[in-house]
Amino acid sequence: MIIKGGIVYDPANGIFGEEMDICIENGRIAEDAGGEVIDARGLLVMPGGVDAHSHIAGPKLNTGRIMRPDDSRMGTEPRTRVCRPSTGYTVPNCYAIGYRYARLGYTTAFEAATPIIEARHTHEELEEIPIVDKGALTLFGSNWTVMECVRENDLGRLAAYVAWGLRAARGYGVKIVNPGGGEAWGFGSNVKSVHDPVPHFDVTPAQIIRALAEVNERLRLPHSIHLHFNNLGRPGNYTTAIETLELLKDIKPSRMRQVVHVAHMQFSAYGGTGWKDFESKASVIADYFNQTDHATMDLGQIIFGPATTMTADAPLEYANARIGHQKWSNHDIELEESSGVVPWVYMRKMPVNAVQWAIGLELALLTRDPWKVVMTTDHPNGGPFVNYPEIISLLMSREKREEEMKTLHEVVRSRSTLPSIEREMDWSEIVIMTRAAPARILGLEDKGHLGTGADADISIYSIKPDEIDPSKDHAKVKAGMSRAKYTIKGGVVVVRDGEVVAAPQGRTYWVDAAVPESEMDRMLSALKEKFERYYSIRMSNYMVQDAYLSNPFVVRAGVQPLKEVI
Amino acid sequence: MRTITIKLPDHRGVPVEAERISPDVLAGLSIKEISEIEVWQGNRRLHLSDIFLISGDPDPDKPENTRIVLEGDLSKVKRIGESMSAGVVEIIGDAGMHAGNSMRGGTLEIKGDAGDWLGREMRGGRIVVEGNAGNYAGAGYRGERCGMRGGEIIIKGNAGAFLGEHLCGGTIEVMGDAGDFPGCANQGGIIRIHGHAHLPGAEMVKGSITAGSARVLPSFACEGIVELGGLTYKKYVGDLVENGKGELYVASGQIGK
Repeated sequence: MIIKGGIVYDPANGIFGEEMDICIENGRIAEDAGGEVIDARGLLVMPGGVDAHSHIAGPKLNTGRIMRPDDSRMGTEPRTRVCRPSTGYTVPNCYAIGYRYARLGYTTAFEAATPIIEARHTHEELEEIPIVDKGALTLFGSNWTVMECVRENDLGRLAAYVAWGLRAARGYGVKIVNPGGGEAWGFGSNVKSVHDPVPHFDVTPAQIIRALAEVNERLRLPHSIHLHFNNLGRPGNYTTAIETLELLKDIKPSRMRQVVHVAHMQFSAYGGTGWKDFESKASVIADYFNQTDHATMDLGQIIFGPATTMTADAPLEYANARIGHQKWSNHDIELEESSGVVPWVYMRKMPVNAVQWAIGLELALLTRDPWKVVMTTDHPNGGPFVNYPEIISLLMSREKREEEMKTLHEVVRSRSTLPSIEREMDWSEIVIMTRAAPARILGLEDKGHLGTGADADISIYSIKPDEIDPSKDHAKVKAGMSRAKYTIKGGVVVVRDGEVVAAPQGRTYWVDAAVPESEMDRMLSALKEKFERYYSIRMSNYMVQDAYLSNPFVVRAGVQPLKEVI
Repeated sequence: MRTITIKLPDHRGVPVEAERISPDVLAGLSIKEISEIEVWQGNRRLHLSDIFLISGDPDPDKPENTRIVLEGDLSKVKRIGESMSAGVVEIIGDAGMHAGNSMRGGTLEIKGDAGDWLGREMRGGRIVVEGNAGNYAGAGYRGERCGMRGGEIIIKGNAGAFLGEHLCGGTIEVMGDAGDFPGCANQGGIIRIHGHAHLPGAEMVKGSITAGSARVLPSFACEGIVELGGLTYKKYVGDLVENGKGELYVASGQIGK
């Protein structure tokens, strides 16, 4: 297959809007190729989108679906020759997730939080998401074994547990959510700062985060730790954010990437002492990211209208349910976590929501290096991912931001710096934020770029970058990005003219990390006792078996130096 | 006014999804075109004329000048008059579930009984039922936080359970009795029940409910006797569980007796 005459953006390879042909052979980008010719003359061509933080599979999704029959009605689409029926808007059914990502030109999406014990269900749902490649991050931040290893300062055993946990969950990376808080919630409380001890465990969130970061580097995992801060969603929490990032400054990365990826930064960039004097501290956070190089973030931009909040931060969800006077699901996940689900509506005239909306955009626009910022809505916490084109048009057009601000509560002008920001992103920066950076941050070497040998995941849009001015024609940008002209996944055309024309099964990425056998044995003997005494299921029924992943892609890592395969 | 008559000779088995029987859809079509409209019966796609006998004035007209008369036992014909905005639909017989749902204007007259979900989430217009109505009349569908928002429903017989659940506006009048939990989670609509109401206004925060007699929830506070239109009522405020400011009036007898 050859894609002819497109205006190609491939920032990872230093290509910024050049007219060139792209060749595809055996599902990969090649030097030359024959076969089908796709005419992309003058059209915007870029690598397929990569979503590094999205909630797309697992029990919390099903809880959301069950709680929200009203949501199901908001996104019904009938069956077509290729597609199964779609339902839902904030919590779509599995099929809809795959089709909608593909229509946006996205070809990879990572589920951001799965407890090991729930991983089977997560993979059952991932299997049913068509087209996109996917993976799931595994939760470790409030895990009993993790906290015990941290308390005993036994990083060897912790490394063995993390490696075993990733294998048990067929997980891709280390996710940490409100470390310690999830287990504190099991006793009806929360942790209030990174130095506040977790009740009954005698460790602090700071110790948990540092230990997991060190182990993450010891295991040379492709992705860094993926961190949801303590005190998330609370006024004044920007100090917690900076305090936490400072903890990790001296840790050396084992690969060419960050040491910590901050999830949905928007929810942790809040000033004020309460909801009444709530204000944006995005500029302080962006300054910090501008001055340091060890951290990356994703936005967690909010979208006005309905959302469904779902997180392993159970105390946060309790607060949400009380504030919003909403339905509330609360879940205790044995020795690993707790979690909650609460439906939500972001309103334009609500002062707090207006400022939250501004914070996401401020973070993107004030952080100078787009390689440090990934565009997300923390789907579906800030809003559904189908709204990414709306965010793109906001980032590319000051005029559009001004128009939007006129419809919001006036505090958006006094409590954020957004009105004074002139920056308008160009296509290269958008491609970095939605493709190149998330792939690099996740450690996906064959994604997010169009170099020879890369996965042939490509999106082509009905947008002519030489003819339109995104700062003025923002409506055309939004419309064009919402329905890809072509989405090509692994060399197969899956979307043509905005319609799904093929729905192949994507791959599931997981990381197999090696640790010395002696460490693994030591860890397992202690873990077996946990299963005997506390778990509701046996260890033999706990691991995700290979049968759960019909199309796995295993990434090797580990403490032992890897030998080159000849 | 253009009249279109749709007769149902005999119908057994799986219900018919008849959301297209509405002045907005039929007004601009000839009788032949109306005959060829698609309807679903379960998983079978049929033409309207496969099930119904259709006759009437042949010339297309505007929806507001259109009167659709349905005859027969239509209790297994669902969604009649869905989303209609003008004109008249008259059902001589019983109507199936979801009649007049999401209706925005016009009039729906049902000479017999109405099924469940009558006028669900309606926004305007008028529904008159000569007989009884099923459950969830004027309610919101599963999970919705807003049911009927405007318009008027008059039920001359009795209403089923959950009458006007999540009512956000408009008026419902029931000449007979209402089943369990009428007006529950009322957000600002008006319900008048002339007969008995069982546990009205649970989780209600705004709006008003009037009942001829009622079993009142313990989470309502009595504020004394008031006079309304020549009758005396006990006035309650609630639902206090929700810090509600809804008003519940229960008749306590006629003045002068």
